[in-house]
Amino acid sequence: MRYLALLAVFVLIVVPNCSSEKSDSATRVRIVFKHGKISGDPEEFRLLLRHFERRNPGIAVRDETLPASTDEQHQFYVTNLEGGRADFDVFSMDVIWVPEFSRAGWLMDLSDMLPQEERLDFFPGPIRAVTFDNRIYAIPWYIDAGLLFYRKDILAKYGFKPPEKWDNLVSVSRALMSRDPGLYGFIWQGKQYEGLVCNALEFIWSNNGDIIDGDRLVINSGENIYALRFMRDLIYRYRVSPSLVTTATEEPCRHIFGKGKAVFMRNWPYAWNLFNAEDSPVKGKVGVTVLPSFKKGRSSSTLGGWQLGIYRHTKHPGEARKLIKFLISPESQKALSLAAGYNPVRKSLYRDRDLITKQPFLPGLFRVFMKARPRPVTPYYMMISQVLQPEFSAAITGIRSPAAALTSAQKQIGHILEAGHER
Amino acid sequence: MKDKERGIRYVAPSLIVLTLVTVYPVLYVFYLSLHRKLLIFNISKFIALDNYLFLIRDERFWNALRNTAYFTGLSVALELLLGLGIAVLLNRSFRLKGASRAIVLIPWAIPTVVSARMWEMMFNTDFGVINYLLGVKINWLGSPFWAIHAAIFVDVWKTTPFVVILLTAGLQVIPRELYSAARIDGAGSWQMFRSVTLPLLLPVILVVLLFRTLDAFRVFDAVYVLTGGGPANSTETVSIYAYKVLFQTLQFGYGSALSLVVFFCTGSIGIFYIRLMTGRRT
Repeated sequence: MRYLALLAVFVLIVVPNCSSEKSDSATRVRIVFKHGKISGDPEEFRLLLRHFERRNPGIAVRDETLPASTDEQHQFYVTNLEGGRADFDVFSMDVIWVPEFSRAGWLMDLSDMLPQEERLDFFPGPIRAVTFDNRIYAIPWYIDAGLLFYRKDILAKYGFKPPEKWDNLVSVSRALMSRDPGLYGFIWQGKQYEGLVCNALEFIWSNNGDIIDGDRLVINSGENIYALRFMRDLIYRYRVSPSLVTTATEEPCRHIFGKGKAVFMRNWPYAWNLFNAEDSPVKGKVGVTVLPSFKKGRSSSTLGGWQLGIYRHTKHPGEARKLIKFLISPESQKALSLAAGYNPVRKSLYRDRDLITKQPFLPGLFRVFMKARPRPVTPYYMMISQVLQPEFSAAITGIRSPAAALTSAQKQIGHILEAGHER
Repeated sequence: MKDKERGIRYVAPSLIVLTLVTVYPVLYVFYLSLHRKLLIFNISKFIALDNYLFLIRDERFWNALRNTAYFTGLSVALELLLGLGIAVLLNRSFRLKGASRAIVLIPWAIPTVVSARMWEMMFNTDFGVINYLLGVKINWLGSPFWAIHAAIFVDVWKTTPFVVILLTAGLQVIPRELYSAARIDGAGSWQMFRSVTLPLLLPVILVVLLFRTLDAFRVFDAVYVLTGGGPANSTETVSIYAYKVLFQTLQFGYGSALSLVVFFCTGSIGIFYIRLMTGRRT
């Protein structure tokens, strides 16, 4: 008993004060956690992990940050996991990698970590994205989704409401642009890259279109052609989107909108905090809402965000599970929301008084996240996207007609899927 | 005979090292290219030349090859012309000669990814400095015609200094007396350039062409950062396509076949130039 008390004293007082080298005694299990760059102050995230170690005295967590670019992270994981001797236990994944990594057999089945009643607290989109062959291979960590940013002040001044339909967005933009010729109407991301697929899917889904319906490829449908033609028309016919959107990624859009040069912008939630920083010219003038839809369709957002997975052949599955359990606990989710601006995956936190007073925009995002849809959940996704990117790019820049681009995409993706079934 | 044996023994270590670090990887890539190797499905099946047969019908590959050839031809030609001009100017004696030479080197010293990002911003339609200076609203990176030329421009900006360094070195070994003699014979400066400078510089020019053509043919980083291959693959080079196939879609077999094509192209270019050089000497 005395020993236990002594040990408790040691753990409570001595361990947290020790330098990490000394505390890495042989009795502690060390697990390695790889993740992308944590936004905000990285020290806050370190503190969270130290908190986990204090609660689990037998475990030491070593966290390692990978390069910021998503492509480089994907490449890192592929080359390391493929060799079958990865030196990490827990790692974070972009939402589109989960089916691919699970199909390759690199991920541990984590279905038992999310029992039905627990699952109900998570947003539906991320749960669909991590489910492959009816098993759960990763646990959602934080959520992202495309949304419409608008200038509250300008709309109010001329008596407009945020548009709910795309044609409404066009007419409001045109009206405002005629009053202020220096203003862009609507900016979005149209460079040939993954972000273009995210943007295009939002137009496609909001017109009841899709890429895959069950087992069937439905890329060159009338709905999709209409949606892509509308994207091109935004630039060249209605002229509410400047032609620079065909080369734009998130950050250039954020800069233009942040300087007060556009009325509407499609972007991810991260931009919100930056618009409301002290020195921002649009501070207090920005509103967010769900993206508009076409007449027949419903508003849809592309799901983003990151998930936590465990390397299939880890030597410490129990400890790795404990770390994930800790990182998705309501208190950690809250801490990460405050420290890094990572939006919680748990719905209940969007009613949490304490959190809302500090992050007042969260309830507004709830509606967006409920509408978030994952990109096609298939191990072929990266191949499909590699075909969609140039074809979407061709359609919106007018190099090919939307019908020709989508027919070509349908054909190419058909080949990829056939080759996969052939085995 | 004894000498020959000893000679072989002397070069053996370097031959072994070279085999290990260059021949083995190439053979392995060739081996991979004969397989359908899809990592995520744990498929690795021998399919002989199927990847190459697919490649012949792959419109995206031919498009990438066309882009690469156009990029290489135009950028290397411009770099050589500009580089030659600058090198000749820098070879004269004038005040601040040292400083000018150092300044010329700056674009070469900046890491490609950094300079490509820089140019991406300068080419921006809305807030880019280029449109501002020209007083136009051109969508440089968003139209297929301008995007490939913008990429060539960035490559020329970046690697002309390299050409200048090599050519300046070449100019400095040309004996002064030849110019004096030519002048006594009554040659003008254009004649001196044509009949003295150019012929004596030719070996260096060939080396420059060799280096630059090989580099330009494998171009990846500058274009990838600038446009990602877009719009609509109009700037996608073979290296970018191979990267996407290999590391983004994980088709190791087909990706290896693509890489090997790049290897054969650069290999032939290299052999062509080296023949040209040795042919001149004998």
